Amino acid sequence: MTATPAAAANGGGPRNTGAPTGLAAMKVSKVGDRVFLGLSSGAAWLIMVVLAGVAIFLVIQAAPAIAANWTQNTALQDRTSGFTLGYDNFWQYVSPLLFGTIWASFLALLLGAPVAVGIALFISHYAPRRVSGVLGYLVDLLAAVPSVVFGLWGIVVIRPFLGPLNEFLNSSFGWIPLFSGDVAKGGSTLLAGAVVLAVMILPIITSISREIFLQTPSLHEEAALALGATRWEMIRLAVFPYARSGIISSILLGLGRALGETMAIAMIVSPKLIISFQVLTNDNPATIASNIANKFGGANQTQADALIATGLLLFVVSFAVNFVARWIVGRTSATPRRRRIPIRKAA
Amino acid sequence: MKISRAGSIAAFALIGTLALAGCSATSGTDTPSAAPTSKVGLDAIDASLTGTITAAGSSAQVAAQTGYSAAFASVATGVTLNYNPEGSGGGRKDFIAGSLDFAGSDAPLSADELAQATATFPGGALDIPVYLDGVAIQYNDKDASTLNLSASTLAKIFAGKITDWSDPAIATDNNGKALPAKKITVVTRSDSSGTMQNLTNYLAGEAGSDWPAGPNLGTLPQITGMDLQKGGAAVATEIAAVDGAIGGVDHSALTSGATVASVDGVKLSNDAIGEAMATGFSIKPNTTPGDLSGGFDYAKIKADTKAYPIPLVSYAIIPAQFKDAAKKKLVVAYLEFIASADGQKAGATKANSAELPDAILKQVVATLATVK
Repeated sequence: MTATPAAAANGGGPRNTGAPTGLAAMKVSKVGDRVFLGLSSGAAWLIMVVLAGVAIFLVIQAAPAIAANWTQNTALQDRTSGFTLGYDNFWQYVSPLLFGTIWASFLALLLGAPVAVGIALFISHYAPRRVSGVLGYLVDLLAAVPSVVFGLWGIVVIRPFLGPLNEFLNSSFGWIPLFSGDVAKGGSTLLAGAVVLAVMILPIITSISREIFLQTPSLHEEAALALGATRWEMIRLAVFPYARSGIISSILLGLGRALGETMAIAMIVSPKLIISFQVLTNDNPATIASNIANKFGGANQTQADALIATGLLLFVVSFAVNFVARWIVGRTSATPRRRRIPIRKAA
Repeated sequence: MKISRAGSIAAFALIGTLALAGCSATSGTDTPSAAPTSKVGLDAIDASLTGTITAAGSSAQVAAQTGYSAAFASVATGVTLNYNPEGSGGGRKDFIAGSLDFAGSDAPLSADELAQATATFPGGALDIPVYLDGVAIQYNDKDASTLNLSASTLAKIFAGKITDWSDPAIATDNNGKALPAKKITVVTRSDSSGTMQNLTNYLAGEAGSDWPAGPNLGTLPQITGMDLQKGGAAVATEIAAVDGAIGGVDHSALTSGATVASVDGVKLSNDAIGEAMATGFSIKPNTTPGDLSGGFDYAKIKADTKAYPIPLVSYAIIPAQFKDAAKKKLVVAYLEFIASADGQKAGATKANSAELPDAILKQVVATLATVK
C-alpha cells in the first residue's frame, strides 16, 4: 500500500533534475531547488505515511485478539500449537513477554553501554589518529553483521565460553537472586543472550557517542588542561558535561535496537513465558520479538493475530523509548551544543 | 585518576574477541540419484507435464519433499515444486486462504479449519498421508550405553516428576539396573512442532494419569529447568552437548553418534516405524469423501512387539475439487508419484525417514482417483 508513493517519490524525482551544473543561470537552479524541495519533503511525508500504515496494520490485526474472550475462543485454546492455551486474556499472555523484553534489553545495556562509551572515548581522545580510524571502522562494521550470524556465534562461542563463569557466579554469588537457581548446563541463559545483545548494540552507541565527543569545543578542553587537569579530569570536566545528552540518546537508541532484536535471542536463550530475574538458568523470560519468531509458523489465524498484538505492544514501547530519548536530548541540551549542530544551520 | 586505561583495555579485548569469532556455515545437500527399480512410480510419470506446484507447511516434510520432487522432475523436467517450510499451522492457514496448491501438515485439518477450507474450495479438502517418520527419544548419559523407557516413565520425565537418572522407575524399565545419580535436563522445542504433537499423543494414549496434559500439544508444557531450543536440529545438538539431557527429536533430525533410547522395549528403526504404521494407523476420515486423516491406536502398536511406539505421520492437504484442471492434473500426478514405491524411496533416502506401508499407499491412490 505504502510502496507506491515510495516508488513515485524515488523514481519520478531524478528524471526532472536534468538541470545543468556549475555556474548556471538562476532560473534553472530555482527549478532544481523546487524539485529538490519536493523530493525531500515527499520523503519526509512518506516516512509519516509508512509509520502510520504500520500502526494501522498492527491495530487492525491485533484488535480481534486483544478483544477476544480467550477462555471461550476455540482457536486460542487450540492444542496443536498450544502456546496461547490456558491463558485467560491477552494481558496475562503478554505481560511476561513484556517483562522479558525490557529485562533482556536492560541487561544488554548494562553490559554494553559502558564498553561502547569507553570505545568512543578511546577513539576520540586517546587513540593515535591511525588506530582510531581503523577502530572506528571496525566497530561500524559490527553493525553490518546479520543477527542470525550473531545467533550462531552465541550458540557456538559465547555459550561454552560463559560456562565456567556461570558456575563460578552461581556457586560464589548464588545468594544474590540474580545468580541463583540451577545453572543451565547447555548455557542457553539470559546472560549469554544479553552478552550477544550487548555486542550488537555497541556500534550504534559507539558511533553516536564518538561523534558527540569529537564535537566538544577544543577551547573547553584546552582550558581544562591549562588549569592543570589531567586527561581524565579534562574529559570529566569538559567532554562529559558537553556530551551528556548525546550519550543518553545514543544509549536509548541502543535500547531501541535491543528491544526489537529477534533471531539472536530466539536462537541462544531458552525462552519461557515467566517473570524471573535469574540469569543463569534454563528458565528465562521470552522477549516479544523472539516469541513471535518462535511461534508464528505454527500459529493459526487468531493466534497469529495475538502475536501481532504483542508486536503492537513492542511498537508502542519502542516508540515510548524514542520519545523519552528526544525529550532528554531536548531538555538537557546545553547552549554550546546548539551552536554546533551543523544540520540546523544548513536547514 | 587513571581509571580510563582499564576501560580502553577492556574495549580492545572485546574487539579482539570479535575479530576472532568466525561464523560457521552448514551446507552439503546433494540431489539423490533415485534409482528407478519399479515399473510403476517413475515410469508412470507423464514427461510432458509442465508447471509449478506451490506448497508450504510442515518443516518435517521438507527434506522428503525435496527428494520426491527431485525424482519427479528427473522425468517430468518441466515441473518445479516450491515448498516453503513455514510450519504446519502456517501451511494450513495459507491453504485455507487459497494461496497454495497443497499444504504439508503434521496434523490433519481440524473441524473448524475444514469448514473454512470448504468456503474456499466447495468440494471440501482431503488429508493425504505422504510422509512417515518416528519421534526418537535421544538422551545423553554416558553411564547408560543402552536405555529403555516405558510410556509412564517418559511421561513422568517430561512432566518433571522424575528429575534424576537414578530414579527407581528408570531402573525398573531396565531390568532393575539402577543408573548413577545425575540430574535430568529435559530439552525440547521452543517453537511448536508436529514432533511434540505426536509425542504427546503417544504419552496421552499410553501413560494415562502420568500425562495429565493431554494429547496433541504442539509444545510441551513448561516445567522448571526445561531447556528450550529453536528447531529440531538445535534440540538434537543440545542433547548431545548437555550431560544428563533427554528429549524427543525427529528421527530424521538425529545426528550421527546420537544415543537413542528404546521405547517400551522396541528399538527405533525404519522397519519398526513402518510396522507401527501398518498395525496402528486407523483412518478416521473427515466429512470429505475419501479423506485419509487418521490417528494411531497406541494399544494396538504396543501389542505388536516389532512396532516402534511413537510414529509420526505427515499429510499433504489438497482440495477435493480443484478450480484449475491443469493444476489438478499436475498435483495429482505428483502425489501419485509420492504414493508409489519409487516416490517413497526417493523421499526416505533424502530425509533418512521410513516409508509408508503399501496398504496405506493403495488407499492414497484410490483417493487421488476421486479428486476432481
